[in-house]
Amino acid sequence: MTLKICSRCCINSEVASVHFDSQGECNYCKMHDELDRCYPLNEKGEIYFTNLIKKIKKHGKNNQFDCIVGISGGRDSIYTLYLMKKLGLRPLAVYFNDGFSNPVAGENMTQATKLLGVEMRTVTSDWRESKDLRISFLKASTPDFGMPTDLGIAAALYGTATKLKVKYVIIGQSFRTEGVCPLEWLYFEGKYLKQVHDLFGTVPLRSWKPTDPGFNLGLKEFFYYSFIKKIKTILPLYYIDYNRKDVDQIISSELGWVNTGAHYYDDLYQSLMTYILRTKFNIDRRVFNYAALVRSGQMSRTEALDKINEVSVIEDPKVIQLCIKRLGLTQEEFDEIMSREPKTFKDYRTNYNFLVKIKYLIKITTYLHIVPKSTYMKYFDYS
Amino acid sequence: MIILKDKKLKSVLKVGMGQLLVEGGEPERNLERACHMVKDAAKIGCDVVLLPECMDLAWTHPSAKTEAKRIPGPYSDILCNLAKEHCLYLCAGLTESFEGKVFNAAILINSKGEIILKYQKINVLDVAQDIYSIGQNLSVVDTPFGIVGVNICSDNYSDSLEIGHTLARMGAKLILSPSSWTVDYSAAEDEDPYGGKWYHPYHTLAKAHDLVLISATSVGVIVGGVYEGKKMIGCSLAVDKNGTIKKGTFNEFAGELIVAEINLPSPQKLGTNIGDRLKAQGYYK
Repeated sequence: MTLKICSRCCINSEVASVHFDSQGECNYCKMHDELDRCYPLNEKGEIYFTNLIKKIKKHGKNNQFDCIVGISGGRDSIYTLYLMKKLGLRPLAVYFNDGFSNPVAGENMTQATKLLGVEMRTVTSDWRESKDLRISFLKASTPDFGMPTDLGIAAALYGTATKLKVKYVIIGQSFRTEGVCPLEWLYFEGKYLKQVHDLFGTVPLRSWKPTDPGFNLGLKEFFYYSFIKKIKTILPLYYIDYNRKDVDQIISSELGWVNTGAHYYDDLYQSLMTYILRTKFNIDRRVFNYAALVRSGQMSRTEALDKINEVSVIEDPKVIQLCIKRLGLTQEEFDEIMSREPKTFKDYRTNYNFLVKIKYLIKITTYLHIVPKSTYMKYFDYS
Repeated sequence: MIILKDKKLKSVLKVGMGQLLVEGGEPERNLERACHMVKDAAKIGCDVVLLPECMDLAWTHPSAKTEAKRIPGPYSDILCNLAKEHCLYLCAGLTESFEGKVFNAAILINSKGEIILKYQKINVLDVAQDIYSIGQNLSVVDTPFGIVGVNICSDNYSDSLEIGHTLARMGAKLILSPSSWTVDYSAAEDEDPYGGKWYHPYHTLAKAHDLVLISATSVGVIVGGVYEGKKMIGCSLAVDKNGTIKKGTFNEFAGELIVAEINLPSPQKLGTNIGDRLKAQGYYK
């Protein structure tokens, strides 16, 4: 079958859930345009964002911190921290250490928090749990095998916010530069994690405590943080003209930030992930990253298409071996995992069908800064 | 006065406490980071650099059983070249393969790149004895800045201070202690990670013998072996009889070079004089 490529960006017919209109434009471009209308880069958007920052300050005035900023040492999170500080907020930087920190990213976090005068907390996973989860997901043979870390990050941010009575969690993510990962490539949900772990795990996961959630973030826990604790999630980069090259210049010169070499490479495990996604699942996450940059005018379509043809620099054979070794897997065990038939989250027990049934309720939560609009669209409108 | 680099007289010894990020089973990466740290230390004029325990393979990492190298050997050679290149003294913990056994060892290298002291850890934790054999020697060495002793991490536990006392009785005025202090994975920056666990025995020894005791401990999550679920968070320590000289920061993912400027105490009478002095201090009834 001939590979069809979107006439506007670089999304191709191999991307999950893609379809093209009569002009040859993909549905992910439509999603981008819809998000662009929701988060306009005009005066209206600016006023909204300014008021949002005022609201965060007002809520936090009696607290040590106004907000919690999740950081990883990568460009987006470090700039977000920088931005929050420049806007006069008193953030606490929180890092979730899952045992695969890229040392370059570690230096970035240390340097940035020091220079910005921001306090930092590290929430570390129990390596026995996180290793077991990673192996479980590799055995589950789905492309979203990096999901436990994403869930751990979210849980760590909610847990820290609860502990310190902070109402706002800030995430450094932008649909204009990162894009939105297709649902079949990354399904994020607590019940899914539990199901995969029940099937393939060997180490029991510790139970949930509000301030120490571990890897527990199912619907019940999410409800607790969102509605009982009223913690809101804000994505500031959605509201600003976020240009990667400009940002690189700012954070390099002002915070001594060093590029880890590629997007997501603040985590060494991404090296193995990128390799497995390409060789086993025929997935290249750069497609939706570059597509976003093309749509927002930060990369030419030709450049994006050329770059996708090259193997990602993340795929460093030495780091791939480091990851396999760190998980305690032999090459034979890893090869056996690689030979398993590819699956998706739909092959496991999840809450997805239930979530679809209540999607209109979930839609309301997007206006309350509980579920990001892009997440809603990914799960229900464009899947 | 101490005669060190460029034959200049110095009254203060500058010790770089290399709080290194040590990744389990990754000697090349760890040594590469050590090279950068030693280079940085040399740039700011450190006379001595101290690196953590088992800085090649990480403490209790299972690879120690198969990947440990001899001393002298490839890893110690890298460190010797570093010391020579930057004309400084270098002390580091390495995993040693020796006569069919594995030892948790430490070496002190002079500024000519020669190993002038090798020590194999004595107070090995019970859970680590599956990997490391018990050392059978303890020694000190004369240097241009005085007599130096080397021990390792848990050798300085409150219940094994005999090791430090013995080094002091051999004349050590500076004890360098490559370490890998661990805490539970849940420890966070807003807590005091160790309480007095390390400070108290350090200060006890420093006060009893008027010496300086310095540790450089690693940072990083323990990713393999019996100590999984723990992590190393730095907070390296330099202590003299008056208390803390310098302390490293709490960090579990990025290394740090901490510089301690030390006035080494003058030598004292050794032998039975030490017992008399300790008795006078009320150490022995």
